[in-house]
Amino acid sequence: MFAGIVLVAGLELAAAWLALHPHVDGNYRAYYIDQSTTCLNKPVTGAYELGATVSFMPDDQPGARHLRVCGWAGPGGDGTHSAGTSSRLRFAVPDGTKSLILQMWVTAVVAPDGRDQQIVLRSSNGVTIGEATIPAGVTKVLEFEVPPTAISRTRKRLDLVLSYPDAAAMSPHVGDMNYRAIKLMSVQLRRPGDPASLGPQDDPLAQRHEQGP
Amino acid sequence: MVAEAVAPPFARGASRPLVLIAIPLGFALLGYILRFFAFLQAGWSPSFWNYPDGLCRWDCLWYVTLAESGYNHFPTESLLDTGNWAFFPLLPMLVGGLHALIGWVTIRIATALSIGFSTLAVFAAWPLLGRNLRSYTLYAAFLLCGPFSVYFTTFYTEVLFVLLTNCLLLTLRRSSYLLSGVTAGLLSATRIVGVFAVFAIVAQYLLDYRRGGRRWRNLPAEIWRDPTIVLAVLLAPIGLFTYMAYLYFHMGDALAFSHVQRAWGRITGNPAIFLWQGITATSNDGSWPAVDQWLALSALTGLALTILLAWRRRYAEALFCVVCLAAPMTAGLASMPRFVVALSPLVLLAIELLARSKPVFVVLSVGFIAADYFFTVGWLQNWLPLV
Repeated sequence: MFAGIVLVAGLELAAAWLALHPHVDGNYRAYYIDQSTTCLNKPVTGAYELGATVSFMPDDQPGARHLRVCGWAGPGGDGTHSAGTSSRLRFAVPDGTKSLILQMWVTAVVAPDGRDQQIVLRSSNGVTIGEATIPAGVTKVLEFEVPPTAISRTRKRLDLVLSYPDAAAMSPHVGDMNYRAIKLMSVQLRRPGDPASLGPQDDPLAQRHEQGP
Repeated sequence: MVAEAVAPPFARGASRPLVLIAIPLGFALLGYILRFFAFLQAGWSPSFWNYPDGLCRWDCLWYVTLAESGYNHFPTESLLDTGNWAFFPLLPMLVGGLHALIGWVTIRIATALSIGFSTLAVFAAWPLLGRNLRSYTLYAAFLLCGPFSVYFTTFYTEVLFVLLTNCLLLTLRRSSYLLSGVTAGLLSATRIVGVFAVFAIVAQYLLDYRRGGRRWRNLPAEIWRDPTIVLAVLLAPIGLFTYMAYLYFHMGDALAFSHVQRAWGRITGNPAIFLWQGITATSNDGSWPAVDQWLALSALTGLALTILLAWRRRYAEALFCVVCLAAPMTAGLASMPRFVVALSPLVLLAIELLARSKPVFVVLSVGFIAADYFFTVGWLQNWLPLV
């Protein structure tokens, strides 16, 4: 009996020790354990062709899925909603790329208090790209210059972090995971001088849907 | 009337086992058929062959994937934030093991196993219901052919939780603490709240100790003399700790089952506040009661029955139930109907009381059967907050 008690107690103490010392990476710890972010960084490919328009409406979910890292919900009929206090997008970028222009078609949510929505853009390596403020319910076309220092040369990609200081709870008693700020309709990352996107309808897949079977 | 129709006066011992077997099996078959008709009425492209799949919704789908593919690593294979670590392993393991052994479709194995476990839970309840045939019949109807039978006959862990809880109650009534500990260990591998069975074991031990006229100051010496209760208490959470160790070596976080709740946006708070918010909730379309009010009503029913358990001096069961209700309520009222009907002590008490009156027994027997059909339609068409 005492041997059994010692054995079981020992096993459970060992399991308790394991519980107190998780062996996880920084992304897991920040999201699940420390809860310091609402956006769980994941190994999304970022597969993207420079200059292309990717619709974040329901008509090109495969294309958008390559770019959506975290902090997004949907898409709904009005776009892909931001979920939480920050979101991430990832774009694979060819070697030797210099500065780029990022275009986003964005609608600010209508929060219960009608607040404007601020978006702060930076790269994951800490380079500030820009910020914008959009009145509630208004759709805007945002363009930002992306400096070469924002692009990761080793990983050949641009990781964008969008922060929403004014993200709001759309109903009472929800956690920060469910805060809303913007609805993203389309993105384009292009070289300076390339033609600008005219919006989600420029997505080739969206155009195919328009044409029918 | 129903019980007497199926149970003519017993010859001593000879026909009773047959009757005790026939009642749950009869309700199992009747319930299966009724829910099939509900599926034909309300299911998506219903047919006989996709009937088990058709009833499998919400968490059931998670359990099917878990039984077939095991637990997620990190990052999850589908890159979802919501890893399947919150779903406890015992029932998926049993189903997955059978699937690997015999190769049947997973949901069909799970359905058969669940109906089997429900039937066993009814058998186990016979002594718990005071060997009262009306209570036994009503309990069988409730589990196998009642409004919430979909929980107990598809792939949800509630059915195994009910069976193991009934076994736990049997062992506690016999003061078999070691067996209680083993049963509680299995409970803690079935659902997270199973670990709270330790409170029932300790409470029953202390009650039994005092009923023997012994004094508190002699308790330490008694435990030293016979430390069975210590081993029982240590065994109670063994299922949980084993799962924790597995999670650590599988994906690095032994507490992943708790940490992953963040991905579902669950926030913790005061259960009393959540209950009040549910009671005072309104629906967007003006319908009454609102969904949250139904959930609050479930919680209140559970709490009322728990108080009744305590009033009837079934303190160990009451303690188990209050903890099993309060713990999930710290994250809101979601799934409260499921949690309440899966608490065997509450359901057994309610059945016991309702079966006392023959007219009530008859009305409820018929009512349960009818409700099985309509609640299954509500489950399939999503107009009942059953998940």
